[in-house]
Amino acid sequence: MHGEYKMPGGKLVVIDLDVREDHLAHVQLSGDFFLEPDQALQAINRALEGRSIELDDDALADVVRDALPPGTVMYGISPEAIAVAVRRALLAEAS
Amino acid sequence: MRTTWHDHDWQLIHEAPQAPTLHMALDEALTDAVASGQRPPTLRIWEWASPAVVIGRFQSLRNEVDSDAAQHHGIEVVRRISGGGAMFIVPGNTITYSLYAPTSLVEGLTFQESYALMDSWVLEALGELGIRAWYQPLNDITSEAGKIGGAAQTRRGGAVLHHVTMAYDIDAAKMLQVLRIGREKLSDKGTQSAAKRVDPLRSQTGLPREAVIARMVDTFRRLHGLADDRLHDDELAHAQKLVRDKFGTMPWLLDVP
Repeated sequence: MHGEYKMPGGKLVVIDLDVREDHLAHVQLSGDFFLEPDQALQAINRALEGRSIELDDDALADVVRDALPPGTVMYGISPEAIAVAVRRALLAEAS
Repeated sequence: MRTTWHDHDWQLIHEAPQAPTLHMALDEALTDAVASGQRPPTLRIWEWASPAVVIGRFQSLRNEVDSDAAQHHGIEVVRRISGGGAMFIVPGNTITYSLYAPTSLVEGLTFQESYALMDSWVLEALGELGIRAWYQPLNDITSEAGKIGGAAQTRRGGAVLHHVTMAYDIDAAKMLQVLRIGREKLSDKGTQSAAKRVDPLRSQTGLPREAVIARMVDTFRRLHGLADDRLHDDELAHAQKLVRDKFGTMPWLLDVP
């Protein structure tokens, strides 16, 4: 499943994922944003892996925020934007 | 401490055409060389030996590129070390350059300010060619007639890499066959057509590509000082090793599948 969100004033935030027994699986964040250090990408993917599909956007954003390596810098992307992209991917699954 | 352009002894590298993977590797090798103090701050003008799609560090290969179409047209797909969006490169159709600078040059600036600072000389050069161009945040160079180019930055150690691709000419039909440009991406751009978003320098200046580059180099030299340099043998060897170990490998290309 695939969700995209063009963050206002930011870049395109994309989530591809599967759902396994009501939990997020094979989560892959991508897009044309800027993120440093680049290992933060895998840290975010791992943090979202296995989370319940029942989490609301605030909780998803918290999961992402807590997973960021110290000193992470985001430009054109945010934990909130990632949460929206996850939500959109899940809605794509439902339809 | 914050430094200014004139605190640095700027060097110019402008080599004969090189392969796309080598360009990716040179950006890493030369950024690290400036970070370690082995090389003074440098402007590198790129010449492309073959067509390529260059995807951003965090872009999904499958989402961004129609790999079958790319292969059909003989276009190599490579991943760069900076974020940002995909670029479609045909030799002679783009003007691409990199700046390798100590982070002291952009210290205390917001990201937006640092992008604008690193390209202030280009906006000046374009102005001298009669094009009123400006920065459109986050990372586009644009004009009344349309987008001219896109920039990306990344920081490694004590150095910042700032690189830009500007469209000199464009094969929009082929670009749209190879790049998957989604509707969501265009949602706040105010136009329907990806091809129409770009207006290349050829039509805007009426000048040969070499003349535009010559003007850019002259403007940089006048504003900031610039000495002619070459790629050193050890730098080239380092970059070639990076091609073998990283930029030319499937794990790197597929890092974001």
